[in-house]
Amino acid sequence: MHKLLLALLSLSLFGCIDSKEEILEEKSQGLVYCAEANPVSFNPQVTTTGSTIDIIANQLYDRLISIDPVTAQFKSELATDWKISKDGKSVTFTLRKGVKFHTTAYFTPTREFNADDVIFTFSRLFDVYNPYHFVGDANYPYFQSVGLDQLIRKIVRVSDHQVRFELFNPESSFLANMATDFAVVLSKEYAMALKANNQENLFDQYPVGTGPFIYKEYRRDHLVRFYKNPDYWKHEVALEQLVYDITPNGTTRIAKILTKECDVTAHPSSAQLSILAQREDINVEKETNLNIGYWAFNTERPPFDNLKVRQALVHAIDVDKIMQAVYYGNGLRAQSMLPPTSWAFEPQKNMPTFDPQLAKKLLTEAGFPKGFNMSIWAMPVSRIYNPNARKMAELMQSDLSKIGVKVNIVEYEWNTFIQRIGEHRHDSVLLGWAADTPDPDNFFSPLLSCTATFSGKNPANWCNPEFDLLLTKALDTTDLNLRKQYYDAAQSMIIDQLPLYPIAHGMRFQASSAEVEGITLGPFGAISLANARKK
Amino acid sequence: MAKFNLFSEDANKSPLARLWRKFKNNHPALVGLWVFIAFCILAATAPFLAPYGVNQQHSDALLLPPSWNEMGDVRFILGTDDLGRDVLSRLMNGATYTFGLSVVAALITTMIGVLVGTFAGISKGLRASFLNHLLDVTLSIPSLLLAIIIIAILGPGLMNTVWAIILALLPQFIHSIRNLIVDELGKDYVTAYRLDGASNWHILSRGIFPNVYEYIVVIFTMALSTAILDIAALGFLKLGAQPPTTEWGAILAENLGLIYLAPWTVALPGVLLFLAVLSTNLVGDGLRKVLQARKAD
Amino acid sequence: MILDYILRRLGLLFFMVLLLSIFTFSLSYLFPGDVLSNLSGVSNTNFAQSALLEEKYRVNSNYFIQYIAFLDRILQGDWGVSFASGDSVFKHILDLIPATLELSIYALLISVVVGVPLGILASAYYKRWPDKLISSTAIVGYSMPIFWLALLLIMVFSLKLGWFPMSGRVSLLYEIPASTGFILVDILLADFPYNGMAMLDALHHLTLPTIVLAMYPTTVLVRFTRESMLKVMDQSYIKTARAKGLNRGQLIIHHALRNALLPVIKQIGLQFSTLITLAMITEVIFSWPGIGRWLIDSIYQRDYPAIQGGLMAVSLFIIIATIMAELTYTLLDPLSRNQAHGKV
Repeated sequence: MHKLLLALLSLSLFGCIDSKEEILEEKSQGLVYCAEANPVSFNPQVTTTGSTIDIIANQLYDRLISIDPVTAQFKSELATDWKISKDGKSVTFTLRKGVKFHTTAYFTPTREFNADDVIFTFSRLFDVYNPYHFVGDANYPYFQSVGLDQLIRKIVRVSDHQVRFELFNPESSFLANMATDFAVVLSKEYAMALKANNQENLFDQYPVGTGPFIYKEYRRDHLVRFYKNPDYWKHEVALEQLVYDITPNGTTRIAKILTKECDVTAHPSSAQLSILAQREDINVEKETNLNIGYWAFNTERPPFDNLKVRQALVHAIDVDKIMQAVYYGNGLRAQSMLPPTSWAFEPQKNMPTFDPQLAKKLLTEAGFPKGFNMSIWAMPVSRIYNPNARKMAELMQSDLSKIGVKVNIVEYEWNTFIQRIGEHRHDSVLLGWAADTPDPDNFFSPLLSCTATFSGKNPANWCNPEFDLLLTKALDTTDLNLRKQYYDAAQSMIIDQLPLYPIAHGMRFQASSAEVEGITLGPFGAISLANARKK
Repeated sequence: MAKFNLFSEDANKSPLARLWRKFKNNHPALVGLWVFIAFCILAATAPFLAPYGVNQQHSDALLLPPSWNEMGDVRFILGTDDLGRDVLSRLMNGATYTFGLSVVAALITTMIGVLVGTFAGISKGLRASFLNHLLDVTLSIPSLLLAIIIIAILGPGLMNTVWAIILALLPQFIHSIRNLIVDELGKDYVTAYRLDGASNWHILSRGIFPNVYEYIVVIFTMALSTAILDIAALGFLKLGAQPPTTEWGAILAENLGLIYLAPWTVALPGVLLFLAVLSTNLVGDGLRKVLQARKAD
Repeated sequence: MILDYILRRLGLLFFMVLLLSIFTFSLSYLFPGDVLSNLSGVSNTNFAQSALLEEKYRVNSNYFIQYIAFLDRILQGDWGVSFASGDSVFKHILDLIPATLELSIYALLISVVVGVPLGILASAYYKRWPDKLISSTAIVGYSMPIFWLALLLIMVFSLKLGWFPMSGRVSLLYEIPASTGFILVDILLADFPYNGMAMLDALHHLTLPTIVLAMYPTTVLVRFTRESMLKVMDQSYIKTARAKGLNRGQLIIHHALRNALLPVIKQIGLQFSTLITLAMITEVIFSWPGIGRWLIDSIYQRDYPAIQGGLMAVSLFIIIATIMAELTYTLLDPLSRNQAHGKV
């Protein structure tokens, strides 16, 4: 029987050798990117899920301004110029001329990008009279968690190519927030065309942007296909086609890059990096990144509302072992909530140490001498800040069993997982955050503020007015020294109160076939494939 | 004067002894039997024999290759996994789950299967017709799919898997037993027995069971090999045993991420699984051949 | 006579489908969670919506009325919506089932083309080396866990040698419009300049999953064909023919084959159901976008409407395939018709 199989094999092989050259030629026009999860939406306004933002934000859309990863200065994008008034309460953007929105199977634009689009896009976030404000239950997690919807008073159309944002009070992080991946510009004309057909719900699923690629199709659990935007305003796009191969399993992603089924893969598991590094036809890039992997407790749910319990649990964890077994030495042990590359970073002296005896003692003091049962929710995908949450959870499970705490590990599909964490159904969760801007506020407001609790983005379910006050004070001033002092206080408050336990800062990795060039990894924000090309 | 000998053999051995003599001439089957017995012993004693605890993590020894490799450590004969757990200990304990639980599942199936199958075999009329139609429906659905359906209702988990597999194996088993009983009931000696006024119970216990129990063993081995494959497959699909339970399929799935870095952590559970199924099938095949040969005599 | 038989089988089919539908209906109650959302797939409803759904699904009426309403919806193609994607379950199934069928059909073809001749060969050389070789290979293949075989093949042929891809149906860069759902047919229907290459690429993608899936049914067919042949060769009409001086080759070709292959045909039909189940595992490993992978994902996510619909679709296929196989068998073998309803 084996002979026959062999014969069959060799038959199909000959076919393959003959035509391999041609196939390569045909394929060289397109790029396959192995992504780790389905996109939850095609509009960055309505989600903060990193895996989704990586796919959509920089490929389909443009922002008004961006931040240069090297100099950390603001850069012009769709806005050619911007001016802040003396009192800091109004910001005027001058818009770029001659930018075209995508022509797709479902929409053909009749006019170019102008001030109406900007006003429509941002008023959706806060203006209840915007016809799209309530589409998708008025949920704009990023903007709500940083309070941008409460900040903008109104947006004024100065001329066709000038808009003025008027704010309730001056805020130092306004421009930084306008430069995040979430602050993309959408087409008003498209929105109105959908509204005329009563199809508002399609708006966030079938995107129209100004970015380098145009949406073609999305098949759940399978692929997302984009074609090149021939009229891209910034530069010529080299790739004809960009396909995201949705591959949740990290090992499969590595395998696919080895078999050349993917040209680029997101988050190759750190366990396998040494294998990839040995291969000459595969490039592995590594870049420090602003992120934090943490263990958050549901502080509203007993016994985790008890600080002693949180401290006891944290002291039982051997973080060194985690650094070795989960990050394989490619991560930085957290010394604070902020990573060392942030300007507001302050190493915390009272960072909890691995001390099972102390943990046992604290647990007894808290009234649980025999321990208790709890769940750790481990996120099912690998992200920069936590390449393998399941494994981390297993290590913790064994550490915690030594102080009598029995752990049940919970896993769900990624989008369901996020949704259920938002509903605060967990005891504790292994999660993390990758920064969208270099501004330190990005590590605090979106995660631990009270508004974040309400929008379901606060995994610790922790609302502390004192902490919120610190954040507000830090935002109200532009004095860097003063801001740093407030953020220092915020950092030590997190370690004292332990709504979450910062574990590690991961490195950002990307593996790509040696034929691919032009993809750069930044220290923050989503991946951009606009300049990618094949040799 | 040569002594007249009624039998072709020196002594009239019992059927069981004759069965064994034929069986042991079949070398693959014999080897299979030894391996099978070894697995049984391992399944029963693994928790006591294993050098380390299954979840004992050695943070100083992550991902060590097997000891014969130059990088290996003699403390860990088959190496360690990415959490520093001893692979040998985990695999030995895996025998208890994968093999041991399969044996238990197959035994329970046999007990219920023989009872219901016999009942189906001796009953007649509407009752039998209904039972048979019901069997036909479930028979057409493969055991693994049936187990998946049952798990979809009960939720993933090792014990749920065992129940699911028992329920999933039953239709096949009942069907085979029923056919056996019906065949046997049609034979002349049963008719003779019946004419003598024997009750159903008498016919079954004195007439039929002594004649069919070897076949039941054969059906048992088939059920067992299916049970092993199904438990492991469900573990592999993460529908059965959940890590850190050391079920072989689950170990395999858990270590899949290490396939390039530490291929032995994926290879070894697969090899054991294969050996367990192969030995069971060899024993079953060997037994069946002997029985066929006896029938032909 | 034959018409009577077909009617009986159709009756059985009806009975089985009825049982299946009752079972599927009861799943909504067996699954954890709210019955209404299990049925409809709509969760987090407001009051007005749930009143509307209650009316549609008749959850306040007795079970019988609910069941009738359920049947009505199923027949209209309204199988509820998936929790996970929010799309119609029926549409999902229609999209996915061709991929599974395609894989299963090719695997079945291979297992017949390879398995039956090998079985005949083994019986022709009974107890000589070809028989021993084939039989022992068959028992090894038969004992191999399918997921393990798949991993071995991927490691050798995809990762080490790089001959075959390990996931999907065709390179994602070929945009093939899904008109039939059968990838090879779709490529033929599609009108591109690079048709031939896409075809080759699709064949490459098919190779490993098909071999993996075909392994088990092939070994079953080898064993079954061999035993069936040996049984026939043992019968007295063959012995008579042999006594007349025919050699083994003539015996097999002219006399034994036809009779021995009849039960094999039935067995082939039965293998189809095994194939669909094994296809689930194969699909998971090779990221094949079929119904099995979707069903297993749905179980992970506790997507009850999807599980319900998926199970119903798969079981329906299996029941129909089994009955078709029996029908074909009976049409070809008049003898079996007598047994069909006489044997209880």
